[in-house]
Amino acid sequence: MRALDWVVLAGTILSIVAYGLYRGRGSNTVNAYLLAGRTMPWYAMALSIMATQASAITFISTTAQGYADGIRFVQFYLGLPIAMVILAATVVPAFHRANVYTAYEYLEKRFDAKTRALVSAIFLIERGLADGVALCAPAIVLTVVLGWPSRFTIVVMGALVVAYTVVGGIKAVTWTEVQQMVIIFVGLAAALITAIWLLPRGVGLGDAVSLAGAVGKLKAIDLSFDWDNRYNLWSGLFGGTFLFLAYFGTDQSQVQRYLTGRSIAESRLSLLFNAVAKIPMQFLILVTGAMVFVFFIYERPPLLFDPVELKRIEADPAYRSLDQRYRGAFEERRRAAGDLVESRRSADSALHARGLAAYRDAQKQFDQARSDGVRLVEKATGTSFTDTNYIFLSFVTRYMPAGIVGLIIAVIFVAATSSTAAEVNSLATVSVIDIYKRHIRKSGSDRHYLWASRIASAFWGCYVVVFAEYALHRLGSLIEAVNMVGSFFYGGMLGVFVLAFAFPRVRGTAAFTGVLAGEAAIFYAHFATNISFLWYNALGCIVVVLTGLALS
Amino acid sequence: MTDDPPPFLGSWGRVYAAVLIYLALLIAGFYVFTRVFEP
Repeated sequence: MRALDWVVLAGTILSIVAYGLYRGRGSNTVNAYLLAGRTMPWYAMALSIMATQASAITFISTTAQGYADGIRFVQFYLGLPIAMVILAATVVPAFHRANVYTAYEYLEKRFDAKTRALVSAIFLIERGLADGVALCAPAIVLTVVLGWPSRFTIVVMGALVVAYTVVGGIKAVTWTEVQQMVIIFVGLAAALITAIWLLPRGVGLGDAVSLAGAVGKLKAIDLSFDWDNRYNLWSGLFGGTFLFLAYFGTDQSQVQRYLTGRSIAESRLSLLFNAVAKIPMQFLILVTGAMVFVFFIYERPPLLFDPVELKRIEADPAYRSLDQRYRGAFEERRRAAGDLVESRRSADSALHARGLAAYRDAQKQFDQARSDGVRLVEKATGTSFTDTNYIFLSFVTRYMPAGIVGLIIAVIFVAATSSTAAEVNSLATVSVIDIYKRHIRKSGSDRHYLWASRIASAFWGCYVVVFAEYALHRLGSLIEAVNMVGSFFYGGMLGVFVLAFAFPRVRGTAAFTGVLAGEAAIFYAHFATNISFLWYNALGCIVVVLTGLALS
Repeated sequence: MTDDPPPFLGSWGRVYAAVLIYLALLIAGFYVFTRVFEP
């Protein structure tokens, strides 16, 4: 990082905190603190929803996905517009008319207090765990790539979040997320333009696209259906719809964004904006990753992007010959790519076909050498290893011009803080509204609950920092564990809301029992079968609905 | 709280239909993109 990068990074962070504190003024009632007095315009909610979903690790991983696996991951988001239309038509007007602070408060109006308490507790467990890892993961990547102490990074990010979330409540969170999304958009555009601009002279955008496409990096749609293939059109449309219904319809960290709308129409528009804008945004992030792939055809990347693990395997006796093979594979691929670009410009289709075959073969050799490097790490550490999360930041810090590096690091920072701030805010809301006010102190003043909300925000902010510290040395298994924890609980949460909206005859005890049965089914599937955790959402939801109906 | 009409297209049903048509066009566009750049 050069001086200009530090200026850009520090300026961005300070401006966010200052803007959050400025925008959060006047949040001196519970309604203003937790729901912004229901005054938010659609565009602020829309960008806030987008920023809450875009965590730092999502941003780092998605570019890496484009580099390593191509853009097929975009299919994962194809269910999102369908989910948003369903939610805009059903959940948004229902929540607004019920005049609730939380999604779970609605469950008491529809069912009973025990169902509300159960689902609130499920949310606090699931979201509390996920938040710590969301803050910890980017800190680890920044530490490895830039050498920053990870503890310092976590504490700085946590302190930023607590500063404006505790003081300004949801108004501060939402308006800073608007600012953060603008920074993210600018950073993304800068990354894509710079990645293309850094291509060697003589390699145009058309050449770059054809080089990426020739080895399968630009396969956006896969029509084949395969249970083992996670990303195809059908899993995106059907599995994605389920997942996004659960996330945007039952997770308070998202529901609270659109509950702040000044009208039903404004809240609907905020969701529909995401339905329209999210997929092109993900597409551009993935294409940026694909362009980084093309850049590294001409500029030799390290055998492994994780410098710590690369140093570890350099001591292995097998490393020297592997490194020589890797360098040879890189040179061969660069030569084959040059030939393919030349043949593309000629009218000779036979020459082009030969060039294509040679280039694909060279890519296979290159991939094989890298895989052997990964296996050396796995042999040394005894655990599975991937370095994909380090690809994009390695590219940024080594090759991007001064100023842009600071901007991209700022994007990672703001992506981490925006999602964490929104989640801390929602955890505080559920703690105060669904637990404290409902079960512990029912008749406090508005000022009392306002202070309770501030204290709860500070508590959850500190909790996230402490949990992130704990997760630091256990991240590999924790990321998977947190993904699983989400899948353990989203199915049950989605199921109880399906019962609430689609089956008027179902009553409280049936819904409560349904959630317990759904959760039992998920835990049984986890401990007694080999069903992948990706199916837990659908399984839990179906069991909740069937049990609720059977008992009604 | 009143359920206001959307600022464009006249009714929410039409807005939802427009979003779903947009999704269909996006998928078709991605399919064409895949066919063009996957030799």
